[in-house]
Amino acid sequence: MTDVLIVGAGPAGLSAAATCARHGLSVRVVDEFMKPGGRLLGQLHEEPDGTWWNGIEEARRLYEQAVGLGASVACGVSVYDAARGEEGWVVSTTEGILEAPVLLLATGAAETALPLPGWTIPGVMSIGAAQVMTNVHRVRVGERGVIIGVNILAVAIARELQLAGIHVDRMVLPPRNPVTQEAASPYHVMQSLLRVAHLAPSAFIRYGSRLVKSDPLLRLAVRCYPAGGVKMWRMPIHLRTAAVEILGTSKVEGVRLARVSPDGEPLPGTEHDIPADFVCIAGGLHPLAELAAVAGCPFAYLPELGGHVPLHNERMETPLAGLYVAGNITGIESAKVAMAQGAVAGLAIAEHLGRLRDRTALADAIAHVKRVRRSATIQFHPEIGRGRADVERMFQEQGISGK
Amino acid sequence: MSATGRIEEHPILGPLPERSVVTFRFNGVPMQAYQGETIAAALLAAGIRTLRLHEEKGTPRGIYCNIGHCFECRVTVNGRTGIRACLTLVEEGMEITAGEILPTPLKKGGHPA
Amino acid sequence: MDQGNIVICRCEEVTLKELIAAAETYRCSARELKLRTRAGMGCCGGRTCRRFIDMVARQATGEAPSHGIPLGYQPPVRPVAFGQLGGVIG
Repeated sequence: MTDVLIVGAGPAGLSAAATCARHGLSVRVVDEFMKPGGRLLGQLHEEPDGTWWNGIEEARRLYEQAVGLGASVACGVSVYDAARGEEGWVVSTTEGILEAPVLLLATGAAETALPLPGWTIPGVMSIGAAQVMTNVHRVRVGERGVIIGVNILAVAIARELQLAGIHVDRMVLPPRNPVTQEAASPYHVMQSLLRVAHLAPSAFIRYGSRLVKSDPLLRLAVRCYPAGGVKMWRMPIHLRTAAVEILGTSKVEGVRLARVSPDGEPLPGTEHDIPADFVCIAGGLHPLAELAAVAGCPFAYLPELGGHVPLHNERMETPLAGLYVAGNITGIESAKVAMAQGAVAGLAIAEHLGRLRDRTALADAIAHVKRVRRSATIQFHPEIGRGRADVERMFQEQGISGK
Repeated sequence: MSATGRIEEHPILGPLPERSVVTFRFNGVPMQAYQGETIAAALLAAGIRTLRLHEEKGTPRGIYCNIGHCFECRVTVNGRTGIRACLTLVEEGMEITAGEILPTPLKKGGHPA
Repeated sequence: MDQGNIVICRCEEVTLKELIAAAETYRCSARELKLRTRAGMGCCGGRTCRRFIDMVARQATGEAPSHGIPLGYQPPVRPVAFGQLGGVIG
């Protein structure tokens, strides 16, 4: 008999699995990918203290810890439905139906696309696809690439491609159209880039970051942004140039660029083509919450958390009895926050099933999530704290049903 | 060096480990991969980006998300259709074929050409 | 290039132009827009394009995003073989 079924073997799911197993619960984890670790698997960056964060090693450590404590982890298993049954949750997978009194959804995030002409041509991929191909599968995605979409995730992965010896020619904005919206606005992108300016090796951006509080100065900075882009990590980042079309038929051959106004409007007569054999689309991340939706969980729309998130409290409980969530399904944050949330979910589940002797452990784990959040070097959204407070308030208004 | 070969050496992740060779066929052409590689990774390493043609429009498609979300990389494996190349490991003797344009005799109206 | 010719739903090859035309004609919900254009009804279940269908619908109707999920999800959330549906394997 399985006590806890966890969907997703990423940082949140594996941490929760280890915590539950440590409290004597029978835990089963399933994941669609062929290796455990989730999006930890591609991550590779230098920490401010000069050490390397190697997601592959973190994933191995978490996996070995969970399995060592007795959790079972099955990879290559897709989950396609979750429903409340008489006794607990009934989960349909490609390996059959699984049942457990407690279900934890730790399905992480999905990438947001930025549609533009030519984005279906082979050789165009999401930036996360390039990350996995490079760091997990160790296959080069091409020789000369262009990244479309300027954000912190794109910058981090571009750096990883360079580490593997892949040439990233430049990073440009997507074209302005009804579905790219703020991602195509130099002003909005500049604003979000300046919030992570403390990480930038570029003096222009670092000085610019002091302007972020003054709107007229920020607009001035966008107007004066160098035509050749600002070079960070050997790669020009363009805020006044957009990709208007990806060129090629059976494979990517190049990208058509145009200069854009401070509002993102293409300037006539500025179109020019550059060669490329691969293109990465970097539209950021949003919570992957489809299973929570089919399970009947209420949602909250909070842009600070990345969009629609299942309603939950700081104990990672949803309003549905026995349904828990942890990690990026609850809002886009770093893997370290996801791990801390997984530990909270594990303790809350142990308490729910009558296995938690030390009640202070849960309060400590909740406080730890907040500490990890505060000390994060990269915030995906500057108002993450407000989003977290809003979802907690909405949860308290709703209450837990069936308890 | 080919544009899409394997990353044998990596400054942080180290050299690729030794792996045994697996042979398979893509659209009837014999190919080699390494044990533990996905179909998508093995084909990309061999320089193949097009994994199928759109069923109606015939536009070429390759990997997009590489983690099983988008279903763009679906291929036919040993006669089973709709298999995601990005989530499926290559196995010895696998017969993989790319999706092609399908006839749509029942479709009325449809999209403008 | 005309940005209207962008494919939004990659599975069904529905373009931005087609979506906007349907949204402006019917001023309808994202769900109705999906049914009218087939955008989001392909193999991937709309995982890549659902947010764009919703954006186009909202831009036509002027509605703000709500807490509810605009395009509901129905199981299966992954395509499965017919043999697998309803069959208890484990």
